[in-house]
Amino acid sequence: MTTTDPQPDVEAKNSMQAKYFRKALNDLTPNNVGQLKALNEVIFTEKQSDDFYKDAVKSEEFAKLALFNDICVGGITTTKETVEGSDKTKVVITTLGVLNAYRRMGLGAMLLDHIITQSEEAKDKAISEIHVNLQTKDEGVLAFFKGRGFAAKGSSGALVRLINAPVSA
Amino acid sequence: MPPKQGRELPSKESALFKAILKLYEHKQYKRGLKQAEQILKKFPEHGETQAMKGLFLSHLNRKEEGYEFVKKGLRNDLMSHTCWHVYGLMHRADKNYDEAIKCYVNALKFDKENMQIIRDLSLLQIQMRNYEGYNETRHTLLSLRPTNKMYWVGLAISYHMLQKYDTALNVLSAFEESLKEQTDNVPDYENSEMLMYKNLVIEESGDYQKALTHLEEIRGKVVDKRGWKEAKARHLLNLGKLAQSEVEYRQLLDQNADCHAYLEGLLKARGLVGDLDGTQLEKAQRLMNELGLKYPRSHIIKRTPLKYVKGEAFHRMLDEYLQPMLRKGVPSLFVSIKDLYTNAEKAKTVEEVVLGYKNSLKANASFSGKAADGAEEPPTAYLWVLYFLAQHYDYKRETKKALECIDEALAHTPTLVELLMTKARILKHGGDSEAAMKTMNKAREIDLQDRFINSKCTKYMLRNDKMEDAEKTITLFTRSESADPLADLTDMQCMWFALECAKSHVRKGEVGRALKRLHQIEQHFCDIYDDQFDFHSYSLRKMTLRAYIDLLRVEDRLRGHPFFYEAATIAVRTYIALYDKPKHAGSGGAGGAEGLSEADRKKAERKARKAALKKSGESAAATETSGTAAANAKVDKDVDGTKFLDANYLDEAEKFARNLLTMSGDRVEAHILGAQVYTRKHKYLLALKSVKRAYALLSKPSASNASPQFAADLHVAAIEFWNAVNAAKEQKAAPVPAPTKGQETAQYPTQSPPLHPTVVTLLDEEIAALFKVATPAAFNTEFSKNAVSSPESALAAAQSGAPITILDSHCSDVKRMSLQTAISIHKGLSSSPIADRTRADKFRDAARTAFPTATYFK
Repeated sequence: MTTTDPQPDVEAKNSMQAKYFRKALNDLTPNNVGQLKALNEVIFTEKQSDDFYKDAVKSEEFAKLALFNDICVGGITTTKETVEGSDKTKVVITTLGVLNAYRRMGLGAMLLDHIITQSEEAKDKAISEIHVNLQTKDEGVLAFFKGRGFAAKGSSGALVRLINAPVSA
Repeated sequence: MPPKQGRELPSKESALFKAILKLYEHKQYKRGLKQAEQILKKFPEHGETQAMKGLFLSHLNRKEEGYEFVKKGLRNDLMSHTCWHVYGLMHRADKNYDEAIKCYVNALKFDKENMQIIRDLSLLQIQMRNYEGYNETRHTLLSLRPTNKMYWVGLAISYHMLQKYDTALNVLSAFEESLKEQTDNVPDYENSEMLMYKNLVIEESGDYQKALTHLEEIRGKVVDKRGWKEAKARHLLNLGKLAQSEVEYRQLLDQNADCHAYLEGLLKARGLVGDLDGTQLEKAQRLMNELGLKYPRSHIIKRTPLKYVKGEAFHRMLDEYLQPMLRKGVPSLFVSIKDLYTNAEKAKTVEEVVLGYKNSLKANASFSGKAADGAEEPPTAYLWVLYFLAQHYDYKRETKKALECIDEALAHTPTLVELLMTKARILKHGGDSEAAMKTMNKAREIDLQDRFINSKCTKYMLRNDKMEDAEKTITLFTRSESADPLADLTDMQCMWFALECAKSHVRKGEVGRALKRLHQIEQHFCDIYDDQFDFHSYSLRKMTLRAYIDLLRVEDRLRGHPFFYEAATIAVRTYIALYDKPKHAGSGGAGGAEGLSEADRKKAERKARKAALKKSGESAAATETSGTAAANAKVDKDVDGTKFLDANYLDEAEKFARNLLTMSGDRVEAHILGAQVYTRKHKYLLALKSVKRAYALLSKPSASNASPQFAADLHVAAIEFWNAVNAAKEQKAAPVPAPTKGQETAQYPTQSPPLHPTVVTLLDEEIAALFKVATPAAFNTEFSKNAVSSPESALAAAQSGAPITILDSHCSDVKRMSLQTAISIHKGLSSSPIADRTRADKFRDAARTAFPTATYFK
């Protein structure tokens, strides 16, 4: 199932933008997981194991592909872990990437926002935070996450965004 | 034989017999059988009952017994129409239509007015295209039941097929008259279709004026408005009333601006087809411009003018055509452009324009120059440009450049399946089928739910002779519930798969298996032909007459289909190879196994046997476990197709060749194969006919006969024919020695029977006229003088005895050859009769540089 971006794209100034810059999210399924694999091999230096992809397929709404003009150009995968000393769950972003040629068009934001929304709307408010362990010191990447409510926490170096709690700057 | 006595049964049995007939009609075969046996207890020699018993038995899967009883019944009562009818039904069920017709005719001798039998007979006659007989039978039917509209129409069709248009029209008119007397209760559609059919008959009689007048008359009654309008436009065009025709075609285009036939009709009405001169070109362009403005969404109107325009205008229109397509991302763009490449200048323009896009998009994200703010092209535009260029270079067989483009595209976006598929295709064209297969498999893994890619991948696996992988891959998409997934493909008449399997078997020297596949394809075509049977009655009942006539014509040309053509040519070649090199006659395998050494071949055979054993073991296990359904299914006892290896090779080859000659008579290749088969069958006059026809076809340029390989093959076949005739003339007096070797007994005699003196004279005359020289050797010398034109011909001349040096100039020019040619030249150099090791090795070294990706030369 393809879902279009729920929020109206403010940048779509004219019809050409809407027609030839179509953006959408797609479910990750056993049939198209090969696309995620192909993407990640280009975007990341580190190679993921087969088990990684097997698990990713089972993540339902917590793993997504980003489409640009119906071509898969980006993806996000996460895992769920229990927060120490609590009955709540934390979502850990394992990969989030968009192909070089398709960056700065809001696709990464679409993917991340989707995970945030899903976390917020999770049943019984079971999810309390989203973690990401950045492998890079890139300022732009840092700003990208900070702009979406992520903040450094503790000494682990992970960025964390609290869910359903007042965002701390 | 007791003739009539015993036909009459006592009243009780007679009633029982009538009940039996009812039971047959209601398909209650088991009960029918029981009751028939009951009668036979008292009257064991009652012929009609015996025949019925046989009929029931054959429907209960006891066909042989069934035939036995039917024949017994017939012997006991040769005068019974029932017995003959039953015998006819048996033959008909076995699709033995000729025999069935004989039985029906006999049955009618004893019961002249049996509607059931006459109707069945007419169906068999049209199925066998016996139009004369069909016409007669249809007459009988109509005279017996003049009120039934089906019989009127049937008679008209029979005259139509006999091309007696006037009589056909008279029949239809008479029928219309009779309708007028009745109250109007014929459904609109049926009436309309009959009128349109009548119009079609008039049109085919060639009287377009009459057709047009008739069309106007029936206007109000026709419900197929579009068909009516198309007919009107066509009639006007045929009558040369161009202005009126133009009006009609314009109206049709207004309904569907993307219909090629309408656009072509319009252009014809304007006299703008064929080779156009300057002013015509301008007119065509103006017309297309005007239409383009009127129908901006029509694709064919944008595409068609590219054929006409040249130079600067072409550049501009190409720009207008390509840019939106690349922006939108149309994967088939190159396919719709490439037919322009027959014009080298246009091909060059396309290359320049698209290369320009590439540079401009890379620098400015725009097709030309700097993009206005906010009007940047999407990044996918660059991707589709790279994709286009890769196909472009692949088309020109510039493998290296094509690979560069496709690799850059893959680095840009590795998830687009089309890119991987194209890369696989480039690799295939470059001669590396293994890498091609691997790439295609990558494409498959990216989109596992795409059946098309799955099939493509299977095909590439077969091209690479990976039969097991291919079977595993294709079964991912066959019906999962069937016991044998591959049998499902046969049921679905999946011909590409069978054909690729056959080719792979030929390459591996598994001749029996290959032939099995090829005969399977032939069987599909038989089945498709048989499938029309039901339509002979259905179409008349439903009045779908125009479509029915189309169907008859399609079926008549059925074996002209490319799948049949390819399967038949391979089959003929394989049988000829088998005949030339019988299996037990020592060196080498038959067919395509020539590339393998003896040891390799044996190893391959062993492996194949083992695999087959394992496979049959598996399927046997499956049968045991999966219960009754699978147990009933036929188990293939001849996986290796050994029964085809025991057949008479030349007879089988001739069957295929005959179909090729009748259905594909405009192709040189068919006649070359025909000549080869008939030469070996010692049917020299037929061989001569094929050789002559082939030379005639070669002298006329045509796309399907253009390959220089044909000229070379024909030369070899002609010399072979001539030598065989000379050898046969020697045989004149000598008695034919009995064949000695084991294999040969089953085959045709290798030596010709003595020729009739008249045949010898005729052959001598024709050969002298055809070849214009005295001996085959002299003919080869003549040929080798002209053979410098193509490497294929030079090779053929050298193989036929000309000095090897005539190949040298070609060999040093390997860069200009296609990969296919280079491979066949190398094969020719390294095998007998040339077998020139030094030249072959030298050629291989040169070819290796010219075709760096080809695995053959590595």
